Amino acid sequence: MQVSDGPAGATARSGPGRATAVGRVLAPMVLTGRVKRRHLIGVAAGGALSATALAGCGLFDGDPEPAPPPDPLQTVLDEALALVAAYDRAVLAEPGLAKRLTPLAADHRTHAAELSRVIGQALPSGAPSASAPEGDAAESVAKLRKAEQAAQKTAAAACRVAPAERAGLTGSIAAARAAHAEALR
Amino acid sequence: MSAQLAAALAAEEAAIYAYGTLGVKLTGTGDRTEARAAEAVHRARRDVLITRLSALRASTAPAPAGYTLPFEVTDRATALKLAIQVEDGVAQAWRAALPVTTGADRATALNALVDAAVRATRWRRLGEVTPATMAWPGRA
Repeated sequence: MQVSDGPAGATARSGPGRATAVGRVLAPMVLTGRVKRRHLIGVAAGGALSATALAGCGLFDGDPEPAPPPDPLQTVLDEALALVAAYDRAVLAEPGLAKRLTPLAADHRTHAAELSRVIGQALPSGAPSASAPEGDAAESVAKLRKAEQAAQKTAAAACRVAPAERAGLTGSIAAARAAHAEALR
Repeated sequence: MSAQLAAALAAEEAAIYAYGTLGVKLTGTGDRTEARAAEAVHRARRDVLITRLSALRASTAPAPAGYTLPFEVTDRATALKLAIQVEDGVAQAWRAALPVTTGADRATALNALVDAAVRATRWRRLGEVTPATMAWPGRA
Protein backbone atom coordinates (compact mmCIF):
# COMPACT_ATOMS: atom_id res chain seq x y z
CA MET A 1 0.00 0.00 0.00
CA GLN A 2 1.33 3.38 -0.91
CA VAL A 3 1.05 6.19 1.53
CA SER A 4 1.14 9.63 0.07
CA ASP A 5 2.50 12.22 2.38
CA GLY A 6 2.38 15.92 2.37
CA PRO A 7 5.43 18.04 2.17
CA ALA A 8 6.48 17.14 5.65
CA GLY A 9 6.38 13.60 4.69
CA ALA A 10 8.22 14.37 1.56
CA THR A 11 10.71 16.23 3.64
CA ALA A 12 11.03 13.35 6.04
CA ARG A 13 11.43 10.86 3.34
CA SER A 14 13.57 12.99 1.12
CA GLY A 15 17.19 12.91 0.96
CA PRO A 16 19.19 15.83 2.31
CA GLY A 17 19.07 17.72 -1.04
CA ARG A 18 15.35 17.70 -1.34
CA ALA A 19 14.78 18.60 2.27
CA THR A 20 17.06 21.49 1.77
CA ALA A 21 15.16 22.62 -1.34
CA VAL A 22 11.83 22.57 0.44
CA GLY A 23 13.40 24.00 3.51
CA ARG A 24 14.67 26.81 1.36
CA VAL A 25 11.13 27.45 0.13
CA LEU A 26 9.54 27.38 3.55
CA ALA A 27 12.16 28.70 5.85
CA PRO A 28 12.55 32.18 4.37
CA MET A 29 8.84 32.81 4.70
CA VAL A 30 8.82 31.73 8.29
CA LEU A 31 12.04 33.31 9.16
CA THR A 32 11.21 36.49 7.33
CA GLY A 33 7.87 36.63 9.06
CA ARG A 34 9.51 36.27 12.42
CA VAL A 35 12.26 38.70 11.66
CA LYS A 36 9.82 41.24 10.36
CA ARG A 37 7.62 41.03 13.41
CA ARG A 38 10.58 41.30 15.67
CA HIS A 39 11.83 44.22 13.69
CA LEU A 40 8.45 45.88 13.81
CA ILE A 41 8.04 45.21 17.48
CA GLY A 42 11.49 46.53 18.05
CA VAL A 43 10.73 49.70 16.17
CA ALA A 44 7.40 50.16 17.88
CA ALA A 45 8.95 49.66 21.25
CA GLY A 46 11.81 51.91 20.36
CA GLY A 47 9.42 54.46 18.92
CA ALA A 48 7.26 54.37 21.97
CA LEU A 49 10.31 54.69 24.10
CA SER A 50 11.54 57.56 21.97
CA ALA A 51 8.24 59.37 22.25
CA THR A 52 8.25 58.90 25.95
CA ALA A 53 11.80 60.10 26.12
CA LEU A 54 11.00 63.18 24.07
CA ALA A 55 7.83 64.06 25.91
CA GLY A 56 9.80 65.60 28.70
CA CYS A 57 11.56 68.06 26.37
CA GLY A 58 8.50 70.31 25.98
CA LEU A 59 8.23 69.74 22.25
CA PHE A 60 4.78 68.35 22.65
CA ASP A 61 3.69 70.47 25.61
CA GLY A 62 0.62 72.65 25.07
CA ASP A 63 -0.19 74.61 21.88
CA PRO A 64 2.39 76.08 19.55
CA GLU A 65 2.98 79.81 20.08
CA PRO A 66 0.43 81.82 18.07
CA ALA A 67 1.87 83.72 15.11
CA PRO A 68 2.36 87.45 15.79
CA PRO A 69 -0.31 89.73 14.26
CA PRO A 70 0.59 91.08 10.82
CA ASP A 71 2.24 94.49 10.68
CA PRO A 72 -0.29 97.26 9.89
CA LEU A 73 1.94 98.23 6.98
CA GLN A 74 1.57 94.80 5.41
CA THR A 75 -1.49 95.84 3.37
CA VAL A 76 0.32 98.91 2.09
CA LEU A 77 3.26 96.71 1.05
CA ASP A 78 1.01 94.11 -0.56
CA GLU A 79 -0.67 96.83 -2.60
CA ALA A 80 2.65 98.29 -3.68
CA LEU A 81 3.73 94.87 -4.95
CA ALA A 82 0.39 94.29 -6.65
CA LEU A 83 0.73 97.64 -8.41
CA VAL A 84 4.24 96.79 -9.57
CA ALA A 85 2.91 93.54 -11.04
CA ALA A 86 -0.04 95.31 -12.68
CA TYR A 87 2.24 97.89 -14.30
CA ASP A 88 4.65 95.21 -15.51
CA ARG A 89 1.81 93.26 -17.07
CA ALA A 90 0.42 96.37 -18.75
CA VAL A 91 3.79 97.21 -20.29
CA LEU A 92 4.24 93.61 -21.46
CA ALA A 93 0.86 93.72 -23.17
CA GLU A 94 1.38 97.22 -24.63
CA PRO A 95 5.06 98.06 -24.96
CA GLY A 96 4.13 101.52 -26.24
CA LEU A 97 3.04 102.38 -22.69
CA ALA A 98 6.51 101.78 -21.27
CA LYS A 99 7.61 105.41 -21.39
CA ARG A 100 4.58 106.47 -19.45
CA LEU A 101 4.24 103.58 -17.01
CA THR A 102 7.80 102.57 -16.15
CA PRO A 103 8.54 105.64 -13.97
CA LEU A 104 5.31 105.04 -12.05
CA ALA A 105 6.21 101.39 -11.50
CA ALA A 106 9.62 102.53 -10.28
CA ASP A 107 7.94 104.62 -7.57
CA HIS A 108 6.06 101.56 -6.34
CA ARG A 109 9.24 99.50 -6.34
CA THR A 110 10.87 102.15 -4.18
CA HIS A 111 7.90 102.09 -1.83
CA ALA A 112 7.94 98.30 -1.59
CA ALA A 113 11.65 98.24 -0.78
CA GLU A 114 11.29 100.81 2.00
CA LEU A 115 8.14 99.22 3.41
CA SER A 116 9.72 95.78 3.54
CA ARG A 117 12.72 97.28 5.31
CA VAL A 118 10.51 98.98 7.90
CA ILE A 119 8.34 95.89 8.42
CA GLY A 120 11.44 93.71 8.54
CA GLN A 121 10.29 91.32 5.88
CA ALA A 122 12.14 90.30 2.74
CA LEU A 123 10.42 90.95 -0.56
CA PRO A 124 9.08 87.92 -2.41
CA SER A 125 11.35 86.96 -5.28
CA GLY A 126 8.84 85.15 -7.47
CA ALA A 127 8.01 86.31 -10.97
CA PRO A 128 4.75 88.28 -11.37
CA SER A 129 1.68 86.40 -12.53
CA ALA A 130 1.58 85.87 -16.26
CA SER A 131 -2.02 86.83 -17.01
CA ALA A 132 -2.08 89.69 -19.48
CA PRO A 133 -4.57 92.50 -18.94
CA GLU A 134 -7.50 92.58 -21.30
CA GLY A 135 -8.46 95.55 -23.37
CA ASP A 136 -6.47 98.14 -25.22
CA ALA A 137 -3.97 100.66 -23.93
CA ALA A 138 -6.61 103.19 -22.83
CA GLU A 139 -8.49 100.58 -20.84
CA SER A 140 -5.26 99.36 -19.32
CA VAL A 141 -4.39 102.87 -18.16
CA ALA A 142 -7.91 103.40 -16.80
CA LYS A 143 -7.66 100.20 -14.76
CA LEU A 144 -4.30 101.22 -13.36
CA ARG A 145 -5.72 104.60 -12.41
CA LYS A 146 -8.55 102.91 -10.50
CA ALA A 147 -6.05 100.66 -8.76
CA GLU A 148 -3.98 103.69 -7.73
CA GLN A 149 -7.06 105.42 -6.34
CA ALA A 150 -8.02 102.40 -4.27
CA ALA A 151 -4.47 101.97 -3.01
CA GLN A 152 -4.30 105.65 -2.17
CA LYS A 153 -7.24 105.24 0.21
CA THR A 154 -5.49 102.39 2.01
CA ALA A 155 -2.26 104.32 2.44
CA ALA A 156 -4.16 107.39 3.63
CA ALA A 157 -6.01 105.31 6.20
CA ALA A 158 -2.72 103.82 7.37
CA CYS A 159 -1.23 107.31 7.68
CA ARG A 160 -4.08 108.60 9.80
CA VAL A 161 -3.51 105.95 12.46
CA ALA A 162 0.23 105.42 12.09
CA PRO A 163 2.66 106.03 14.96
CA ALA A 164 4.73 109.19 14.59
CA GLU A 165 7.73 107.43 13.07
CA ARG A 166 5.63 106.00 10.24
CA ALA A 167 3.39 108.99 9.54
CA GLY A 168 5.68 110.56 6.97
CA LEU A 169 6.30 107.26 5.18
CA THR A 170 2.63 106.38 4.78
CA GLY A 171 1.64 109.96 4.02
CA SER A 172 4.20 110.19 1.23
CA ILE A 173 3.00 106.92 -0.23
CA ALA A 174 -0.60 108.12 -0.14
CA ALA A 175 0.44 111.35 -1.86
CA ALA A 176 2.48 109.46 -4.47
CA ARG A 177 -0.44 107.18 -5.32
CA ALA A 178 -2.73 110.21 -5.70
CA ALA A 179 -0.15 111.84 -7.96
CA HIS A 180 -0.01 108.65 -10.02
CA ALA A 181 -3.76 108.72 -10.51
CA GLU A 182 -3.34 112.29 -11.71
CA ALA A 183 -0.53 111.28 -14.06
CA LEU A 184 -2.71 108.55 -15.57
CA ARG A 185 -5.54 110.89 -16.57
CA MET B 1 3.34 120.79 16.41
CA SER B 2 2.93 124.58 16.45
CA ALA B 3 6.33 125.07 14.83
CA GLN B 4 5.46 122.73 11.95
CA LEU B 5 2.03 124.30 11.48
CA ALA B 6 3.61 127.74 11.49
CA ALA B 7 6.05 126.55 8.81
CA ALA B 8 3.11 125.21 6.79
CA LEU B 9 1.44 128.60 7.11
CA ALA B 10 4.57 130.29 5.80
CA ALA B 11 4.62 127.87 2.85
CA GLU B 12 0.95 128.55 2.07
CA GLU B 13 1.49 132.30 2.19
CA ALA B 14 4.48 132.03 -0.12
CA ALA B 15 2.36 129.93 -2.49
CA ILE B 16 -0.38 132.58 -2.56
CA TYR B 17 2.16 135.24 -3.44
CA ALA B 18 3.81 133.05 -6.10
CA TYR B 19 0.55 132.24 -7.85
CA GLY B 20 -0.39 135.90 -7.93
CA THR B 21 2.89 136.59 -9.71
CA LEU B 22 3.09 133.65 -12.11
CA GLY B 23 -0.58 133.68 -13.07
CA VAL B 24 -0.14 136.68 -15.36
CA LYS B 25 2.54 134.84 -17.34
CA LEU B 26 0.21 131.95 -18.14
CA THR B 27 -1.55 132.40 -21.43
CA GLY B 28 -3.87 129.44 -21.95
CA THR B 29 -7.32 129.43 -20.32
CA GLY B 30 -6.71 126.01 -18.88
CA ASP B 31 -3.46 127.07 -17.24
CA ARG B 32 -4.99 130.23 -15.81
CA THR B 33 -8.00 128.39 -14.42
CA GLU B 34 -5.66 125.93 -12.80
CA ALA B 35 -3.53 128.68 -11.27
CA ARG B 36 -6.58 130.51 -9.91
CA ALA B 37 -7.96 127.30 -8.41
CA ALA B 38 -4.61 126.55 -6.79
CA GLU B 39 -4.38 130.02 -5.31
CA ALA B 40 -7.91 129.67 -3.88
CA VAL B 41 -7.01 126.36 -2.24
CA HIS B 42 -3.89 127.85 -0.68
CA ARG B 43 -5.86 130.83 0.62
CA ALA B 44 -8.43 128.53 2.21
CA ARG B 45 -5.70 126.48 3.86
CA ARG B 46 -3.99 129.59 5.09
CA ASP B 47 -7.22 130.69 6.77
CA VAL B 48 -7.63 127.27 8.44
CA LEU B 49 -4.05 127.42 9.72
CA ILE B 50 -4.42 130.93 11.12
CA THR B 51 -7.50 129.82 13.05
CA ARG B 52 -5.80 126.67 14.29
CA LEU B 53 -2.65 128.41 15.38
CA SER B 54 -4.73 131.02 17.15
CA ALA B 55 -6.57 128.26 19.02
CA LEU B 56 -3.20 126.78 19.97
CA ARG B 57 -2.22 130.23 21.20
CA ALA B 58 0.83 130.06 19.00
CA SER B 59 2.19 133.32 17.72
CA THR B 60 2.64 133.63 14.00
CA ALA B 61 4.83 136.10 12.21
CA PRO B 62 2.86 138.27 9.78
CA ALA B 63 3.15 137.31 6.14
CA PRO B 64 5.93 139.19 4.35
CA ALA B 65 4.78 141.98 2.06
CA GLY B 66 6.79 140.49 -0.77
CA TYR B 67 9.09 137.61 -1.50
CA THR B 68 12.27 137.21 -3.46
CA LEU B 69 11.47 134.67 -6.11
CA PRO B 70 14.10 131.96 -6.75
CA PHE B 71 14.24 133.05 -10.39
CA GLU B 72 12.58 135.60 -12.64
CA VAL B 73 9.24 134.60 -14.11
CA THR B 74 9.24 135.81 -17.70
CA ASP B 75 7.21 133.31 -19.70
CA ARG B 76 5.03 130.21 -19.48
CA ALA B 77 7.98 127.88 -18.93
CA THR B 78 9.32 129.81 -15.94
CA ALA B 79 5.80 130.33 -14.62
CA LEU B 80 5.19 126.57 -14.63
CA LYS B 81 8.61 125.98 -13.12
CA LEU B 82 7.70 128.28 -10.21
CA ALA B 83 4.30 126.62 -9.75
CA ILE B 84 6.02 123.23 -9.49
CA GLN B 85 8.54 124.51 -6.96
CA VAL B 86 5.81 126.13 -4.90
CA GLU B 87 3.76 122.95 -4.67
CA ASP B 88 6.87 120.90 -3.85
CA GLY B 89 7.61 123.35 -1.03
CA VAL B 90 4.06 123.21 0.31
CA ALA B 91 4.24 119.40 0.21
CA GLN B 92 7.46 119.45 2.24
CA ALA B 93 5.99 121.70 4.89
CA TRP B 94 2.92 119.53 5.36
CA ARG B 95 4.83 116.25 5.34
CA ALA B 96 6.92 117.58 8.22
CA ALA B 97 3.70 118.17 10.15
CA LEU B 98 2.56 114.54 9.88
CA PRO B 99 4.71 112.99 12.66
CA VAL B 100 3.86 115.75 15.14
CA THR B 101 0.11 115.79 14.61
CA THR B 102 -2.73 113.41 15.39
CA GLY B 103 -6.44 113.15 14.66
CA ALA B 104 -7.97 116.08 12.78
CA ASP B 105 -4.65 117.97 12.58
CA ARG B 106 -2.95 115.02 10.92
CA ALA B 107 -5.89 114.53 8.55
CA THR B 108 -5.54 118.19 7.52
CA ALA B 109 -1.81 117.78 7.00
CA LEU B 110 -2.29 114.59 4.97
CA ASN B 111 -4.95 116.15 2.74
CA ALA B 112 -2.69 119.14 2.15
CA LEU B 113 0.30 116.93 1.30
CA VAL B 114 -1.78 114.85 -1.11
CA ASP B 115 -3.25 117.96 -2.75
CA ALA B 116 0.18 119.55 -3.19
CA ALA B 117 1.59 116.35 -4.70
CA VAL B 118 -1.30 116.12 -7.16
CA ARG B 119 -0.93 119.77 -8.18
CA ALA B 120 2.82 119.39 -8.58
CA THR B 121 2.23 116.46 -10.93
CA ARG B 122 -0.43 118.39 -12.81
CA TRP B 123 1.94 121.32 -13.36
CA ARG B 124 4.74 118.96 -14.37
CA ARG B 125 2.53 117.38 -16.99
CA LEU B 126 1.50 120.79 -18.32
CA GLY B 127 5.16 121.77 -18.47
CA GLU B 128 6.09 118.40 -19.99
CA VAL B 129 8.51 117.83 -17.15
CA THR B 130 9.43 114.19 -16.67
CA PRO B 131 9.16 112.30 -14.54
CA ALA B 132 5.80 113.74 -13.58
CA THR B 133 5.79 111.97 -10.21
CA MET B 134 8.25 111.24 -7.43
CA ALA B 135 8.54 108.32 -5.07
CA TRP B 136 8.40 110.42 -1.89
CA PRO B 137 6.34 113.59 -2.23
CA GLY B 138 7.21 116.01 0.52
CA ARG B 139 10.64 114.60 1.28
CA ALA B 140 13.23 117.35 1.09
